[in-house]
Amino acid sequence: MIKHLVKGALALTLTAGLAVADDYPSETITLIVPYSPGGNGDITSRFIADQASDILGVNFVVENRAGGGGFIGINSCANADPDGHTICFISTSPITVRPHVIEAPYDPMEDLTYISQFMLSKQPVIVRNDGQFNSIEDVIAYAQENPGQLRWSAAVPRGGPHLATEAMFRAEGAQTTFLPSQGGAVELANLLSGTIDLAVISDYGPALDNGEIKILAETSPGRNPQAPDAPTLSELGYPLELASFFALAAPAGLPDDVIAAWDDTMAQITESEEFNTLMERIKGEGAFLNSADFTARVAADFEAMGEATATYGLGE
Amino acid sequence: MESILAGVSLALTWPAVLAVLAGIVAGQLLGAIPGLTATMTVALLIPYTYYLDPWVGIPMLIGMFKGSLFGSSVTAILVKTPGTPAAAATVLDGYPMAQQGKGEKACKMALYSSVFGDSFSDIVLIFGASFLAAIALNFGPAEYTLLVAFSLLTMGFVSGAKIWKGLFAMLLGMLLGIVGLDPVTASPRLTLGFLELEEGIGLIPMLIGFLAVAEVMRQMEFPRKQLAASTVSFSDKPADRRVSWAEFKRVFPTLMKSSSLGTAVGALPGISATVAAFLAYNEAKRSSKNPEKFGKGELEGVAAPESANNAVSGANLIPLMAFGIPGDIAAALILSALLIQGITPGPVVFRDNPEPIYAIFTALLLANFFNLILGHGLIKMARRVVTVPKRILFPIVLIIAAASAYAMRGSVFDVQLVFMFGFLGWVLTKLAFPTVPLLIGFILMPILESNLRVSMLIAGSVPNPFAYFFGRPAFVALIAVMALMLILVLRRILRDRQAARAAGLRSG
Repeated sequence: MIKHLVKGALALTLTAGLAVADDYPSETITLIVPYSPGGNGDITSRFIADQASDILGVNFVVENRAGGGGFIGINSCANADPDGHTICFISTSPITVRPHVIEAPYDPMEDLTYISQFMLSKQPVIVRNDGQFNSIEDVIAYAQENPGQLRWSAAVPRGGPHLATEAMFRAEGAQTTFLPSQGGAVELANLLSGTIDLAVISDYGPALDNGEIKILAETSPGRNPQAPDAPTLSELGYPLELASFFALAAPAGLPDDVIAAWDDTMAQITESEEFNTLMERIKGEGAFLNSADFTARVAADFEAMGEATATYGLGE
Repeated sequence: MESILAGVSLALTWPAVLAVLAGIVAGQLLGAIPGLTATMTVALLIPYTYYLDPWVGIPMLIGMFKGSLFGSSVTAILVKTPGTPAAAATVLDGYPMAQQGKGEKACKMALYSSVFGDSFSDIVLIFGASFLAAIALNFGPAEYTLLVAFSLLTMGFVSGAKIWKGLFAMLLGMLLGIVGLDPVTASPRLTLGFLELEEGIGLIPMLIGFLAVAEVMRQMEFPRKQLAASTVSFSDKPADRRVSWAEFKRVFPTLMKSSSLGTAVGALPGISATVAAFLAYNEAKRSSKNPEKFGKGELEGVAAPESANNAVSGANLIPLMAFGIPGDIAAALILSALLIQGITPGPVVFRDNPEPIYAIFTALLLANFFNLILGHGLIKMARRVVTVPKRILFPIVLIIAAASAYAMRGSVFDVQLVFMFGFLGWVLTKLAFPTVPLLIGFILMPILESNLRVSMLIAGSVPNPFAYFFGRPAFVALIAVMALMLILVLRRILRDRQAARAAGLRSG
């Protein structure tokens, strides 16, 4: 009870403060989701719209504008008025990764304002539990001895986890066969049946609990809590490690007071109990970064990805 | 045994039973609205269901998916607009039946077939999940390629029309199917510079344009007077309103075969109910004694796709229960609902904590029962709605077609696609090209291409590709079965030709 009172009081002071500072938001806010309904990105966006609507005191419209692997929705967001009444959901791939390998209709470093990150997901390198590999060294040794014979796949072709793993193989001069993915579930089946030897997917939870697979390494920064003994790629000394984030963005040139309003709103949402329940349920890791920190993270990842693309020829 | 009873009682509490019931009602109604698939509705509702007890939430999900598969076939039959893509094959004979005044009979056949397919695959799931899933794991990219290539091959021959017309339509469908990003290099192909086409041509705009809009265009050619009549009239003859026991017995072999096919497809992750429905339709036509009746209102043409698409939904839980691999989005949603409760489906849960699994099985069977009962109500309601004059119904169909294409991903481009495909469909009908091969080619091509190319990559990664592929039991078994079926098809074509020639000689 007391907690709710405190929360209510916080919300009141916050909105009161905003009203004095500026009149944002003054109308309905459109949140563009560049994916079809039903995915985790869509679910979390709708949750945030719902919560932010209570905090900011305006209505939210969530619009799914899917297509082009996220390019279409983000592009329409980048071309909207930077008044804070049109924002969009973003994830890693169309921001820091794919623009390096496929021509994007916007420039991620010029055309967007990054609002805040709210979630990270883990993307581990997994193998069969009863297979011959017990560590990344085993995998590399096998790939070096048998050029082209190691078959593997990643849930999103040319996504961050795929390219980070590919950069690892290229750094070792190991020749492998990458099989284009047909989705996480199919790749898991392919791994269990021996069609592939190694996979980088995020929907590994049930198979891990059933003892069918094991985690050898983590392709994003920070070890995987499900396998604290498995090192990350950078701990192993490999060149590329990419955060797999869920975040919000807006057109470039968003006024500072709007950014501040969203920093406060998102801080408040990510601290809530409902948010933690949601994270638990979709197996995400709640990780709030405000606009300044997140913008720095995006710039660093974008640059690292650009270098890796050039060095290892990942674009081909 | 104790855990079975505990599981059953978990699913037979009042809230759980009511949840199944509510799910079925919602599913049937939403399924009947084109563009609003059950998956989408459930996805939209998920944020609001955190507070639901899982033994209310999961049964409701199950009811919703089962209800929507039947609900979508009602609009497919009565107004040629499949509520979800899975019901597209039902249009082929369901709509002609409705035009002959047998709409109610077609809907009832669809209902019985849906419930039959559901129950069949649920029973297989309950008794043979781990066994079937182990077999399904033997199906890799090479086996998928064989299966799909073979389906396309036989279909070219049995499409009914002139063989060259069937092949042309199929190739056109396949061409449309490869639009989008190349599955291996991820570079855009045939997209004409449209970003919207990078993920391929949407199945929903394609189907709705091709079936519903093309039909409205065809009907608009008729003189004005006819437009005052309603598009479907319901005959009051009892024989046209129900499926007799004799008829049910006649379609029973088709039901069994299609349900088995649907169950097998469902056990393989990544192949949808839409594909199963078309495969079953194709197979029913191939093995029928009078394939020429298909497409003109043949009862088996409704029974086959309807039992197959429903069988997929239960069977999609097979890889989920055996390995924790969700076969489709419905299974993925059930998986996430289970994970929230700390229950991980798979061999471990069967051994340690099987109650929730038995509760799900109970809910599945319960949902079939409610689907059967409530389905009759939906048919009665639909009967009243669609008997409006064409000049009122058709504009509504066009609006729904546009709205449903837009609803999928908020894209005006998809709305334009609907009308483009409507026009294309109308032109092809005018030129007497068959539509089924085009739709099957379109649906199967992406599966064929990505699996073929992955198989080629695998072939390049093993020292001896020949030994690798022929060392796979499923691969060898498939080749043997297909060779046999191909001989049967060819023999039949030869026999038909001889018969035709003999008839020609007699009349000449």
